[in-house]
Amino acid sequence: MALFAELRRRNVLKVALIYAVASWLVLWFVQHAGDALGLPGWAKTLIVLVLATGFPVALVFAWIYDITSSGVRKTPAVDQTQSVVYKTGQKLNAALAVLAVLGLLALIGEDFMPEFQFPVFGVPEGDAPSLPGTPAEIRSLVLDNGMKVIVWPDHDIPNVALYNFVRASVRNEQAGATGLSHFFEHMMFLGTRNHPAGEFDRIMEAAGGSNNAYTSKDLTVYQDWFPRSALETVFQLEADRLQFLAIDEEVLESERNVVLSERQSSVDDDNFSLLMEQVYATAFVAHPYQFPVIGWPADIAAWTERDLNAYFRSYYAPGNCLLVVAGDVTPQDVFRLATRHLAPIPAQRPASPVRAVEPAQQGGRRVAIERDAAAPLLHMAFHAGAAGERSTLVLDLLLKILATGDSSRLHRSLVEESGVAIAVGGYQDEGFDAGLAYFYLTLAPDADPLAVEERVMGELQRAATEGVSEAELDKARSILLADFWRGLATIDGKASALGYFEVLEGGYESLFDLPARVGAIGIDELRDVAAGVFRRDNLTTGTLRAPDGAGTAQ
Amino acid sequence: MIRCAALLFAWLPVAGAALAQGMSLPAYERVELDNGTVLIVSEKHDVPLIALQAVMRGGAVTDPQGLDGLSSLVAELLEKGAGSRDAAAFAEAVAAVGGRLSAGANLESTSVSGEFLSRDAGLMIELIADMLRRPALDAGEFARLRDRSVNLRRLARDGDLYGLLPEYGAAFLFGNHVYGRPVDGSEASLGRIRHEDVRRHYQQHFGADRLILSVVGDFDTGSMVAALTQAFGDWERSGTPAEAVPIPDPEPGPRVLLVDKPGAAQTYFWIGAPGVSIGYARRAALNLANTLFGGRYTSMLNQALRADAGLTYDARSVLTRPSQPGTVAITSFTATDTTAEAVDLALEVLATLHREPVPADVLDSARNYMLGQFPTALETAPQLAGILAQLEQYGLGRGYVDDYAGALVHVDAAALGAVIAEVYPAAADLVFVLLGDAEKIRDAAERYGPVTAIPISAPEFRP
Repeated sequence: MALFAELRRRNVLKVALIYAVASWLVLWFVQHAGDALGLPGWAKTLIVLVLATGFPVALVFAWIYDITSSGVRKTPAVDQTQSVVYKTGQKLNAALAVLAVLGLLALIGEDFMPEFQFPVFGVPEGDAPSLPGTPAEIRSLVLDNGMKVIVWPDHDIPNVALYNFVRASVRNEQAGATGLSHFFEHMMFLGTRNHPAGEFDRIMEAAGGSNNAYTSKDLTVYQDWFPRSALETVFQLEADRLQFLAIDEEVLESERNVVLSERQSSVDDDNFSLLMEQVYATAFVAHPYQFPVIGWPADIAAWTERDLNAYFRSYYAPGNCLLVVAGDVTPQDVFRLATRHLAPIPAQRPASPVRAVEPAQQGGRRVAIERDAAAPLLHMAFHAGAAGERSTLVLDLLLKILATGDSSRLHRSLVEESGVAIAVGGYQDEGFDAGLAYFYLTLAPDADPLAVEERVMGELQRAATEGVSEAELDKARSILLADFWRGLATIDGKASALGYFEVLEGGYESLFDLPARVGAIGIDELRDVAAGVFRRDNLTTGTLRAPDGAGTAQ
Repeated sequence: MIRCAALLFAWLPVAGAALAQGMSLPAYERVELDNGTVLIVSEKHDVPLIALQAVMRGGAVTDPQGLDGLSSLVAELLEKGAGSRDAAAFAEAVAAVGGRLSAGANLESTSVSGEFLSRDAGLMIELIADMLRRPALDAGEFARLRDRSVNLRRLARDGDLYGLLPEYGAAFLFGNHVYGRPVDGSEASLGRIRHEDVRRHYQQHFGADRLILSVVGDFDTGSMVAALTQAFGDWERSGTPAEAVPIPDPEPGPRVLLVDKPGAAQTYFWIGAPGVSIGYARRAALNLANTLFGGRYTSMLNQALRADAGLTYDARSVLTRPSQPGTVAITSFTATDTTAEAVDLALEVLATLHREPVPADVLDSARNYMLGQFPTALETAPQLAGILAQLEQYGLGRGYVDDYAGALVHVDAAALGAVIAEVYPAAADLVFVLLGDAEKIRDAAERYGPVTAIPISAPEFRP
């Protein structure tokens, strides 16, 4: 008890409390402003160590010394100087009160203004959206080398989704070297000058992140999902592989086999994919959309390191990439990291544009595959439009009415009423160039594909002559609206949608006036688009069935 | 001075709560109605959507002997006409507002998932109440659905063969136990199901005492509880009480099921053994072990088979954890002529898991990975509705989620080693399924144990 009383008298307890609160404030400041100030990790650790070791020193100092009007003096052991000690105590109380208020303000501020940033010089603020319907917190920036970066802050979960959209795919390929884009997508994970094969994934997963990529007919898209704490690590990894990718012969060979395995299980052992591959190859005669994304087997076997290096130089130029970041970040965080890690990547001459244009189809086309199958398949593809066109949006609505879900016209007529089909669906490509409107049906085992084809054409031509009802159009609009919100319920969905619209629909802000554009479409437009697209001379039909005489079951 | 200090420390829990953000369940209200129905309700206002998960205890384990797939058919039939709407009108009502509604059977429950714009909350509740309480179960719709399901089973042999492995694996491992039954039925079992079976099943296994309603989204708690109470509060109990699942007693390995698909370009394989139940206490350690063994891209299995050897596009380990011990299995696929090489390599990785302690950096990496990815499983209303329903179904409490991150942080090498030894099988206990071109892989198959062969066209999964 005597010791405790003495600790109080010599103001040691007060000093301890003040030191603790002041340290907390310093650490809070470092945590929030450290990144902005560019403090390296070791500096933060050093600060913590200094504060920790300083604590006992401060206590000892408080025990021995007092602050008096004539400077710092040793504390007398006797109470005659209690008045001086008392005054010191008062000063310390005041200091404590001030620090406590600062601490409370810091915590309150953090809660109410999570996006507040200590202003830092040298980091561009980026451009705010210009259209009123766009969320105001989004920012975009174009780096000197042409790479564009878009940031959508969202603090619901402490995670981030990062997408890199590369404008390179099958569309940019040529006969004899198909599948290169998809193979390249694999190789982007398999070694750089600084990180040998495997390290990209190990570093990312050790930092709490996961990743993937996909190749469509128009784009190669790289995706990273990680906690906020891994932001700088991910930027370092992405910049490294964009600038310093190194293709190793052995790794190339091993990965070639992986892709062959992927092709075997997704195409050779899968009737649906096999038929679709053939329909695309038949529907297009001039445009690269005819090629399968995974590539033809002979081409897979033939790729060389030289092919890959040439491809990289042409297409993985910064100006050909779009980076989208959504999640627990601020635009300042992202632009600072982009400026530091991605801006140094040298700009490159843009790749030559795609020249091929698919000529108008002159007559119906057909491919009929005979192959062991439990159920016949029927695919019907019509040439349609490209992303961003008004007619494409109209066709979207039309496809919802015709082929999406149990209430759709094709499902009701072919699956429920006549029972000639087991399942039916439809979609359209929506790429840089005009693509296909595609219907796919799994038929009942005893159904005749040609007869079902006639039924489908009947339904499509009914839409072309009579159009759709108001109720159907309302339904299609509601489906699009609900899907719009579903897409924005995750940071992954936000990043994906923002990037898709930026790259394919003329600008990310178009995403947010989608509901209005959908509302503006008139009912007659659906009939007119149907009439333009659903013509026999615009049709490629693919069928797959067991050879005559073979059993329907395997 | 003491007063100042007290005021200061009162704010520390706020800071602590901020650090746990994203790693714990949101606040929710649990209401148990007089008839046994449990409501779980949680508000979420980031998007104007509402997700509802209705879980009826029961599922495939209640299917009568030989009628595998009955609960699956009943679940799908719920939407084919309910209340005052026939099948067409019901589908139209959902689609007209851009809603989503689906029902399906699981091993131990039947679930209905719905997601609607918040403006259509009333319609959503009406449709789901009709589905559960007043389904038409029409004979004509049933016949069409059953025939379509039989066709879909046949069709599966033309497509995703990898997806068939768990059904063959469970059937071969568990034999006649309820866990061996395919949830969606087999060609043979579906063919035996009659309309009377459907009606009887509904009467016995659907009722208020079996029901959990979990709703998350853009609504007001009070109004939602009131609406659900009105829609379900007077529902009667089911015809029979839910029965506990008997403890499985699988025949030990090693033994091999060879499923023949002549001309297959690849062999798809499943290497499994009995696992643990959802109540297994050392869950954090087990999930950590499974993540580093075969649950992420840089796992031991995927590294060895895909990254290092280039034998496959995917190799993983999977646990099923129902109310009684389920399965633990390695799954992968490879070109037909590298079948033996791939299976041998998978077995070698399993041996390494047992033999060598996990390096500290791998343990830390797997832990960081799980902690980093965890918040994304709690991001959306449908995810949260599903998790809350599952916790209620198995009596797990919110600590199952809230304490998970803390539990992961405390898993050390010793705990990991103990779980690996306890849960992952020794080579001698393994049960194999090899699906591929039997003519070419029979010899390889025989190296792993006595072989039972069936064609992929066989109408049952069990030999």
